[in-house]
Amino acid sequence: MKSYKAFSPSRIWTIATNTLTQLLRMKILGFLVVFAIIIVAAAYAFPTMSPEQQLKQLKDWSFGVLQVFSIVIAIAATALLLPRDVEDRTLYTILSKPVPRHEYLIGKLLGVLLLIGGGLLIMDIFFCGVVWLKQWTITASNIAALQSEQNGTAENIAAMTDYIDRQGLSWNLQAGVWCVFLKAAVVTSLALLMSCVASSTLFTILVSICFTVVGHGEGLLRSYVFKSLAITWKKFLSFLLAVICPDLSLFDEVQAVIDGNAIPLSTLGQITGFALLYVVLYTSVAYLIFSEKEL
Amino acid sequence: MPREIDNTNSATPAVTVENLTKVFKGAMGRKPLTAVSDLSFTVKRGEVYGLIGPNGCGKSTTMKVMLGLLIPSIGKATIFGRNSSEVASRHDVGFVPENPYFYKHLTGRETLHFFGKLCGLSGSDLRDRSAAMLKLTGLENAAERRVGGYSKGMLQRIGLAQALLHEPRLLILDEPTAGVDPAGSRRIRDLIMEFKERGITIVVTSHLLEQMQEVCDRVGIMSQGRMVREGRLEDLISVENQTEIILENATPEQLDKIRALISGAGGSTKLVSLGKPRTTLERLFLETTVQTGEGE
Repeated sequence: MKSYKAFSPSRIWTIATNTLTQLLRMKILGFLVVFAIIIVAAAYAFPTMSPEQQLKQLKDWSFGVLQVFSIVIAIAATALLLPRDVEDRTLYTILSKPVPRHEYLIGKLLGVLLLIGGGLLIMDIFFCGVVWLKQWTITASNIAALQSEQNGTAENIAAMTDYIDRQGLSWNLQAGVWCVFLKAAVVTSLALLMSCVASSTLFTILVSICFTVVGHGEGLLRSYVFKSLAITWKKFLSFLLAVICPDLSLFDEVQAVIDGNAIPLSTLGQITGFALLYVVLYTSVAYLIFSEKEL
Repeated sequence: MPREIDNTNSATPAVTVENLTKVFKGAMGRKPLTAVSDLSFTVKRGEVYGLIGPNGCGKSTTMKVMLGLLIPSIGKATIFGRNSSEVASRHDVGFVPENPYFYKHLTGRETLHFFGKLCGLSGSDLRDRSAAMLKLTGLENAAERRVGGYSKGMLQRIGLAQALLHEPRLLILDEPTAGVDPAGSRRIRDLIMEFKERGITIVVTSHLLEQMQEVCDRVGIMSQGRMVREGRLEDLISVENQTEIILENATPEQLDKIRALISGAGGSTKLVSLGKPRTTLERLFLETTVQTGEGE
């Protein structure tokens, strides 16, 4: 028998991979089929639009579905896991092994993040494939059109290709997908915290949805509700609100990607930092609550 | 198979529960509930200790404190000298909860691999231990089936298998035969006896007193959160002024002689009962049925 280690990444990984297997065997990734259908529809349903609009529409729909997928999985999967382990008493069997409670929580969080990350990766690959195909089709048909109009000079073709490329496949799309993942990671850690406070799956789901909705509208709340307050109060209350409820609009860089604008690396780094901060904060509070929980 | 455990080296008891009191706070203005009150007992290494009592007497609460799942309000529990609130104390413990639930999406073997990894097992060690535990609990033929499809008896046995996987020195069993048919129940009882022979300390709760009588060295009887009687089973249940003799193939003449001998002995000696012992319904059931998961 091996000796006991106070912290074991392998135990965390075991819980994480078990969580991932559990969710996969619940056929939660059936959603990917829906995604594929929507992407193909977005790519080929509106051939009369301009090339720019066609690619924009494809990115718009795809990012919309990516966000819905990641948020729904973040809330539903997390809310299903912990309360279910308590209700089924599976938690007794796990925690009666030499497993510290923080390892259990981190493992569960990591498992959901692996699922979201894996799902996003598969969808991203499919999405990029469709964007590339669409971009290639549009470019080919436009070159053919230019040549048939006797305008197929090298300059014209280069200008047209450059114009389409700016709306097409680029590293910027990956930055957009990363932002979607970061937002989902924050919502996952929030749902984990809620599931430690709540005793039922339904309560966790409802409260997490409320926080997610408020989190998206925090900017509006600050501008309208706090506008008459003194600057110090405004800053303090805004900070307090941002701590209690994550400011999810921080991660909304997707629109810039859809419009073909590049996300600066510094912005990406800042967003990643904010996400990490939220995840660590919410997971730490979740642990404090969970460590005192009587099972 | 579990290793033989040498219990001769240390005087530290396997379990101590010292002045344990557990009060659950009342929610929404309700009165607090005292589940266990000033409970103390010790379990020596290598013995089978039965904790019995009616529903709600505090047995499960005591077990949860021993496993670090609950924090005592007053007092403490130790496992081989370590405070049970330390995670490290669970390295020596295997636990089978009442009506054990496992992840339904995993097969029997995957379940053992999952719990084995949590106990620090890996590679061929994990695979070998899992295979040995499946064999020991008679679940080899059901190893690749999902746990969601297991019967109650099979769940109890996979529960035992996961509890023994990391070769614990202490096994805590909460109602191990609850809801299990007589064949499964007998099997679990036999396993407990086998573990005892190998030197594993066992703490067990059950409502089935007859079974407890068969396996326990000592018992503690709890009522309303307190220990009301405790001691060696023989001391607690033997009727001091009676003697039992069981004869095989005795003729009526021999029985008459025994009767005459007793009546002629004088004093206060008297024959209380004489008759044929009966087989039990359980034994009849076991002889005529085959258990699920075996020989499939």
